[in-house]
Amino acid sequence: MQEPVFSYVPGASIIHRLDPRTKVTAVMLLGILTFRIDNFAGIVALFAFFFVLALLSGLPVKVFLRAVKPMMLFIFFIFLTQMFFTDGRPFASYWILQPSLEGLEKGLKLAARFIFLLLFAALLTASTDPSAITCGVERMVRPLPLRWLGISSFELATMMNISIAFFPLLFERVERTKAAQTARGMDFVKNPLRSIPALAIPLLRGIIRDAEELALAMEGRGYQGSRRTSIHELSMHKNDWRALFMLALFILFILIL
Amino acid sequence: MIRLEKVSYSYPDGTPALENLNLVIKKGEFIGIIGKNGSGKSTLALQLSGLLKPQAGRVMIRGMDTRDPSKLPEIRKFVGIVFQNPETQFVGRTVEEDLAFGPENLCFSPMEIRKCVDMALAETGLEKYRHRSPKTLSGGQGQCSALAGVLAMRPECLIFDEVTSMLDPESGISVMEIIKKLHRKGKTIVYITHNLEELHDADRIIVMEKGKVMLEGEPKSIFSDISLKTLGFDLPSLIELAETLKTHGVIIPWEKTASPQSFAEEICQLFLKT
Ligand SMILES: Nc1ncnc2c1ncn2[C@@H]1O[C@H](COP(=O)(O)OP(=O)(O)O)[C@@H](O)[C@H]1O
Ligand SMILES: [Mg+2]
Repeated sequence: MQEPVFSYVPGASIIHRLDPRTKVTAVMLLGILTFRIDNFAGIVALFAFFFVLALLSGLPVKVFLRAVKPMMLFIFFIFLTQMFFTDGRPFASYWILQPSLEGLEKGLKLAARFIFLLLFAALLTASTDPSAITCGVERMVRPLPLRWLGISSFELATMMNISIAFFPLLFERVERTKAAQTARGMDFVKNPLRSIPALAIPLLRGIIRDAEELALAMEGRGYQGSRRTSIHELSMHKNDWRALFMLALFILFILIL
Repeated sequence: MIRLEKVSYSYPDGTPALENLNLVIKKGEFIGIIGKNGSGKSTLALQLSGLLKPQAGRVMIRGMDTRDPSKLPEIRKFVGIVFQNPETQFVGRTVEEDLAFGPENLCFSPMEIRKCVDMALAETGLEKYRHRSPKTLSGGQGQCSALAGVLAMRPECLIFDEVTSMLDPESGISVMEIIKKLHRKGKTIVYITHNLEELHDADRIIVMEKGKVMLEGEPKSIFSDISLKTLGFDLPSLIELAETLKTHGVIIPWEKTASPQSFAEEICQLFLKT
């Protein structure tokens, strides 16, 4: 079975052992940074930075390839549109399309930015237990006045967890309903339009029942949507502060580069 | 321990599910509940665990009224419930994380939560699946994991609502073994099923019909009650066999009808005697 993209790869490296809050903060800042840098030196520096972190994490290369590969086509498309539709000095001419040098530069930068985002996201998710990420995010948003939105940080975190646990169930149900309706003589290939209600109605009914059962099981296990603790012990160690300090230095360095 | 007093309940759409039900569950008891589909077993289970509140009468759980919202956290700690479908009981991405859900809701400290999770894993023999996704477990293991998720909250009373009905017989038996072990360790068990065979060793059996208690008594007397057949229940085949032998003058004591092994031993004994 192929492992899903952005899945967790357990380990004990320095990067693995950092507090999820440190890593989430770092990825957010680096994400913003990738869109602030505007010269190739910055891109090279950022790549070097990523390279060091990836080495420290001890994660296999395939983790990162797997994250970038599915998006490659999209990134290439962005690159092409930038190259062809940016005004500037053309370096070639194909029919009415004239790729410009400025476009080439812009396209490369934009592609690099997207790849960086994917790489850093993969580094975060592969080195951190997903529920630790949720727990970290919960702690980070706890001081925010989320109550205005009618939701608590605990509910938000549980929602993040549940939706990830619940989605596979959803897909399974689609497959099961499809099989059941096919067995009753529904032809999904011949009658794609007619078959939509035949699929959607039992599907919806099933999903609602699943959701009700899930809600009951959660309530039975004491869930109230109010304050709850976590199995993950979050504590910022010396290494976390060191990492954040180094990150700050790096960002400063890039910005004045 | 748990006491239902004249409990009635209808669902919001008007379907009556329980009518004027009285029931007392004693500490350390293994109580079996059977009844046909729609007889109100699941509704009763939800009342017993405080997940539904009675419209008339009251449910007292260790002296706490389930209608009192301030008592709910205490009640949740005290009774746990396991449902039929393991898949809709998982909330975590790994077994460990899933088992932590209950203790997390009880606001235990991370260290306490780990202890609860380790205990529940040991009780159900799931240690080696700790880091697996619950979805990759087999039906039987999945149900064990659902049971462990409830056990991790250290409840004194456990309610099982047709937990083996979606499992193959073999994994059903292994889940049953765990439940019996928990009972021997002093937990109070309410076991709902439509398979009479599973209730041979129960302390007491309750037969439900149309939201009411039809029969109540020890397995021995329930199994020999002729009204059970008129209600449309199949007796376990060993009991059936013992009954037939009785008409031929061969008496098999009740205790020996628990398993094919003990039954066969008894027959061999009788055979050697003659
Ligand atoms: N969520 C619900 N909404 C409306 N009616 C329900 C609901 N759940 C059960 N019922 C009805 O209540 C009665 C008792 O159901 P239930 O307690 O599930 O019985 P059992 O578990 O013995 O099969 C049945 O008539 C059933 O149709
Ligand atoms: Mg039921």
